[in-house]
Amino acid sequence: MKRLLAIMVGTLAGLVFAGCSSQPSAEEVVVYVSEDQVFSEPILKDFEAATGIHVKAVYDTEEAKSTGAMNRLIAEKDNPQADVYWANEPIRAEVLKQKGIAAPCASPNAAGIPDQFKDPQGCWTGFSARARVLVVGKNVKAPPSSILDYTDPRWKGRGVIANPLFGTTTSQVAALFTLWGDEKAKDFMVRMKANGTELSTSNGESADLVAAGNFDFSLVDSDDVVNRMKQGRPVAMIYPDQRGDEVGCMIVPNAVVLIKGAPHPASAKRLIDFLLSKETERKLAFAECAQIPLHAGVETPPEVKPIEGLKTMRINYAEVARKMQDIQPFLKEWAGL
Amino acid sequence: MVKRAVLILAVAVLLVAGLAPVAAMFVRSLDVDGQFSLANYESLLVSGRQWTLLANSLALASLTTILALAIGVPLGVLLGRTDLPLRRALAVLFTVPLLVPPYIIAVSWFDVLGPQGFLSQISAVAAEHAAAWLFGLWGNVLVLTSVFTPVVMLLTMVYLKTVNPRLEEAGKLAAGWCRVLWGITLPLVWPGILLAAVLVFLLAFGELGVPMFLRFSVFPVESFTQFTAFYNFGAATAAAAPMAGVTLLVFALERALVHQGTVHIRFAPQGDAASVIRLGRYRRPLGLAAIALCFLMVAAPLVALVARSMSVGAYAEAFAKAGDSLVRSIEYAALGASLLAILGFLLGYMIQDRALKGWPTVDWLTIFLFALPGSVIGIGLISLWNRPATNFVYGSFLIILLGYVAQYAGVTSRITAAILGEIPPSMEEAAQLAGARWPRRVLLITAPIARRGLVGAWLGGYIFCLRDVGISIMVYPPGQDTLPVRILTRMANGTPELIAALCVVMVLCALVPLAVLGLLLKWRGTAR
Repeated sequence: MKRLLAIMVGTLAGLVFAGCSSQPSAEEVVVYVSEDQVFSEPILKDFEAATGIHVKAVYDTEEAKSTGAMNRLIAEKDNPQADVYWANEPIRAEVLKQKGIAAPCASPNAAGIPDQFKDPQGCWTGFSARARVLVVGKNVKAPPSSILDYTDPRWKGRGVIANPLFGTTTSQVAALFTLWGDEKAKDFMVRMKANGTELSTSNGESADLVAAGNFDFSLVDSDDVVNRMKQGRPVAMIYPDQRGDEVGCMIVPNAVVLIKGAPHPASAKRLIDFLLSKETERKLAFAECAQIPLHAGVETPPEVKPIEGLKTMRINYAEVARKMQDIQPFLKEWAGL
Repeated sequence: MVKRAVLILAVAVLLVAGLAPVAAMFVRSLDVDGQFSLANYESLLVSGRQWTLLANSLALASLTTILALAIGVPLGVLLGRTDLPLRRALAVLFTVPLLVPPYIIAVSWFDVLGPQGFLSQISAVAAEHAAAWLFGLWGNVLVLTSVFTPVVMLLTMVYLKTVNPRLEEAGKLAAGWCRVLWGITLPLVWPGILLAAVLVFLLAFGELGVPMFLRFSVFPVESFTQFTAFYNFGAATAAAAPMAGVTLLVFALERALVHQGTVHIRFAPQGDAASVIRLGRYRRPLGLAAIALCFLMVAAPLVALVARSMSVGAYAEAFAKAGDSLVRSIEYAALGASLLAILGFLLGYMIQDRALKGWPTVDWLTIFLFALPGSVIGIGLISLWNRPATNFVYGSFLIILLGYVAQYAGVTSRITAAILGEIPPSMEEAAQLAGARWPRRVLLITAPIARRGLVGAWLGGYIFCLRDVGISIMVYPPGQDTLPVRILTRMANGTPELIAALCVVMVLCALVPLAVLGLLLKWRGTAR
């Protein structure tokens, strides 16, 4: 028994030593990331290689409904552990700003990014965007070209949309509320439901359902469509509402936030500069996520349409973030949750 | 005096690690816009949706428990007491789903029955129906039954060893094996079956990953939604309140049924080996039935997973991209299991010996914490420990260990309490009369006799810590994630081959300590 105890104590001590023995880096930065790890990790590795600053990351994903990063940032408000938050959409960054967790940060690399994609107080800056697009089956004749087609009897029961309580679908619905006003937006949602629109758990699942032929179209993120197209699935991407009187296509940039009271502010600023650079935008355009650069003149692959060539939805992200909180009870009831 | 102080210290550890964060969350849930309010709890009572959630949660947990019992008890008897062919291999195979996070099993089933699954290559129409079925109550029941049946099977096998063979032999003088099993053996192992039923019910009731992946609305998903969609910590805590009620009811029911408050195992006297039930002409058909069941419940989804992982470079990529997480997972799980084994031993001792007045409360508390969503405990831990003075805890792996202790103390304390029931009190009493003090009695008599139980408790703790997602994803220090968390974060847009390879590595990770232990036991048996 004594020998067993000695082995147990020895093992414990060894493991504790192993657990504690990682040498702290002279320079480090702690970043919480809501962009998919598959796409964000290579960029952060490049930053490490370029600067020698060790990156400690907490990853999160849209698929996991971003429970970790955002909730941790809010819960850690009084004693922040993170220096930087890499959000996969500006709405989350806005929520942080409204909760007093984001700090202003003026990066020289933000200069080339249109004002529409930046917080006026500098609490967040957008970069590399996804577009909210329609994924349609390759065999669908005269495919839909507007989000209003969700309410068109021609497409009754043929449309699917991700649960609007989560992710970019929430942002898009909230954006419509800010553009159209509550009455018109609610009417749209009610008619969409009455037209037999089905709910899925995520944009990825919506794209899969369309690719499998279960539905004709869905409103999803552009990276979901590009991903399926690269897999050879029978789908096409349509940028919606591009005609003169239509609302345009919603753009969802990544957003980078400096956390108020960040433990490593100097490293944090260097990381923010790196993320907002043209080179990072080029890499994210050529990555599997095929994101749209917000700087003008960045090289892109053929499947990525430059931002200048798109009619974009003119929205105020701060207003959308506030509206998102207001409409949650309506959305909850609408989704039957 | 020393005994009392040590046991009070163990209870204090549980209170600090488990109760304090939950209490912090409870207090927070009573604060609405800076004012005391019960609004978060009132909304639970007025909303009709809460009753739907309760009905769904109870239906899922009850059906899973019934099916797990219906399959697990006969399996336990077949694999634990009969001469069924391949029984050891089958016992290991049936245990595999319990060793990995349940969402991995859900993903495996999706690979079989989903729209692009293996079934779709055979029949598109059948696959469409199967996919619709999978994303409903019965699909959830299927996945959770395959995950939790091993709990019933293993506990039945363990408790069968406690039956005094002389009783069965006496029964056999007047009746066949079937009547002996039904009339003597099963009533004697009833406490074990009841314990298994309680565990399966609570595990199914508190499960988040599977119903979320398969889109079935239950309480844990509601609590999670409150965190993720609304960032409303108060409402999320309130949404977990029904868990407290249900665990209290289940605990009371268990105590009423067992009559003794806790479960007792009395192992068969030394030298009285239980006789093996000869299946005779039923041996082959029953063996084939067990193999078929194993294929349907375990092998089909796992084969789908392994098949998907078989691509060039998938495993090399898995180790390159998650090797560090793998090492950390094993380290944290081993440390967590060691702490849980020690704490579980002390709490189990207190429960079994009824050494402190509040032992039923401590017993219930461990079970309640076991059933709580990891997100509630996780946010509670952040609220409590994320302070400049305690950064050395919050900023290191210690915070994960605290989370493990909070959530899984019930596993090791229950296993230990059951095993300690095997040891006659007269052994400690004799040592006491000889003048041995409590620490010596525990270290030199009780612990050595209960060492197999302690190893079992360690393994139970290791498996639960290794497969944990709920606590780890909320509190892991930056750059120090675990393998289940890495799999989850890589699932979004990661290649299916890489995800499958990571899942297979996870399964192997859980199996290795079991294999090492098996080899050690075999080696020691041979050495003797």
